[in-house]
Amino acid sequence: MFITIRNLTKSFKKGPNLITPLQNLSLEAPRGEFLALMGPSGSGKTTLLNLIAGIDSPTSGDLMIDDHDVARLSRAQLTKWRSRHVGYIFQLYHLVPILSAFENVELPLLLMPLSRSERRARADAALDLVGLSDRAQHRPPELSGGQEQRVAIARAIVHDPELLVADEPTGDLDGESARSILALLTSLSQDHGKTIVMVTHDPKAAAVANRVLHLEKGQLVNPPATPASAVS
Amino acid sequence: MLPITYAIRNLFRDPSRLLQTVGGSALVVLLVIAAAALTRGMEGVLEATGSAQNVILVGAGSEESIERSEVHLDAESAAATAVSGLSSPLGITAASGEILYMAPLTIAGGHEEPALLRGVTEKALLVHTRVRVIEGAYPSPGQVMVGRLMYRRFGVEALDLAPGRTIAFGKTEFTISGIFEAPGTVLESEVWFDRNDLATLTQRDTLSAVYLRLDDAEFDDVHVFTLQRNDLELSAIREDKYYEKLSSFYAPIRAMTWVTAALVAAGAIFGGLNTLYAAFASRIREMATLQSIGYTRTALLLSLVQESLLATLTGTLLAFVLAMFFLDGLSIPLSLGTFTMELTPGIILTGLGTGLALGTFGTLPPALRCLKPALPVALRSS
Ligand SMILES: Nc1ncnc2c1ncn2[C@@H]1O[C@H](COP(=O)(O)OP(=O)(O)OP(=O)(O)O)[C@@H](O)[C@H]1O
Ligand SMILES: [Mg+2]
Repeated sequence: MFITIRNLTKSFKKGPNLITPLQNLSLEAPRGEFLALMGPSGSGKTTLLNLIAGIDSPTSGDLMIDDHDVARLSRAQLTKWRSRHVGYIFQLYHLVPILSAFENVELPLLLMPLSRSERRARADAALDLVGLSDRAQHRPPELSGGQEQRVAIARAIVHDPELLVADEPTGDLDGESARSILALLTSLSQDHGKTIVMVTHDPKAAAVANRVLHLEKGQLVNPPATPASAVS
Repeated sequence: MLPITYAIRNLFRDPSRLLQTVGGSALVVLLVIAAAALTRGMEGVLEATGSAQNVILVGAGSEESIERSEVHLDAESAAATAVSGLSSPLGITAASGEILYMAPLTIAGGHEEPALLRGVTEKALLVHTRVRVIEGAYPSPGQVMVGRLMYRRFGVEALDLAPGRTIAFGKTEFTISGIFEAPGTVLESEVWFDRNDLATLTQRDTLSAVYLRLDDAEFDDVHVFTLQRNDLELSAIREDKYYEKLSSFYAPIRAMTWVTAALVAAGAIFGGLNTLYAAFASRIREMATLQSIGYTRTALLLSLVQESLLATLTGTLLAFVLAMFFLDGLSIPLSLGTFTMELTPGIILTGLGTGLALGTFGTLPPALRCLKPALPVALRSS
């Protein structure tokens, strides 16, 4: 298994209260699977995604990704692990506005022992893959939302991580742009063997995934008990 | 590590903030340079004036102020003969009885300024060895010789106090016979009179002090002399110690200089910090994104410090340029003498250190605050 999660629990202390957005969650996913994660607001989707991406550490439970015991890594180790193995795609792209598309995509490569020309070649290839070679020198404010998200995807794949996580990547896009982003993600999973975990509210987006998981109050539910899903 | 271009572009993200940081740090560094040059110049001129080889005989009880001291006329010759081992170039013993008097002088045009007047004989040159007549001649009766920086005190051109011009004490006019220098000392803003003239003008029949220049003699030899001739009621002080004491007398002024500089600087630093807090706070999500990519907090902190240093060191450079144009070589007339502000290597280092400290220590609090929130929280912030 590429992702193995057992009894994963995450809780926060908020004043005197203990909030537990994830409780005893278990999950497995093989390499190359495209997973969609759905669920109502506050159900713990982002919390789970952040744990899988090594952005945060669980309170208890096991989290293995490609034989890395991610749950036991220190903060510094997590930072290093992310830089090699994870690409994170955000709903609002999170590009650095003062850097060009090319420079944004180059960011993960600056952490690797690569020559300038190697970086150039890899960043160009990533931009080419998302179809934005001609926008390399543009800065984010000069790009459309769909283009920004494609630059963000190029940045997430440029260092060739096995795992991609996306938190509502189409949540801020119009239908047309959303479709092209979803096509891109599908291709990354099918043609490039990336394992993808995507949080989404949109059933049409979830439909492109190999498997759809439903979260509710920090636990996976199957079949979903939400009214919208009940209809289908 | 983030490339330096990231730091540079960030600087230009907000031109008004850049302007404030550069201007603010320039102001702070300039203030520090000015305060350092001012206090250093003040100390320096007093240190340079006193010589360890000179001993001053003053009236017992007037050790703090030669101007208030009274010494019997006989003390000059008594000391010259009784103390052996005084310097005696060309066979003349270096013992100079002098009158010191603080009084206003008037120059042509009616401009009046207080000045330190010194009544001397030719022997004064044997003890004040740094004094050299650079123009004209030593004063005869009816004449005065003015220090090289005297004109600064009146705020006039050097030409207005050139030999041949007149200067008045009350209603009595004196012709300027010459100009003297005594590099780096307070003597350069004194006016030297013929001793008898000054005695008449001030209606006194005593000296203010007798200056002795030691050769083989020790300070103790002079001290013993004051004990042997206790009828003269003298007290011996080393000239360098006298000026050291005078310097400590001005310590509150130096402290005030620093306090004033610190207050203005604190305002600039406070304003700068505020802008920096706001500027960095707006970048919390970006910092979190860079961390999610794999940049360490240390790398980001370094980039932020780099960014600030670029601005504060530019400000420091600006401060140096301004200081070179407006401070370096500026002479400041004070009651105790005129001194010149100089950009010495020590002062330049102080300014540079200030710029570096502003860029690093000034950046750390806002930068750390920007990097402090947990990653998931920071990523959610807008
Ligand atoms: N750092 C935190 N401190 C305290 N509570 C938190 C923290 N992070 C998340 N939570 C809480 O955990 C719960 C789940 O949050 P999460 O962001 O995972 O939900 P979500 O499913 O992504 O919701 P949405 O669809 O609105 O993005 C929420 O109740 C949230 O308030
Ligand atoms: Mg969420």
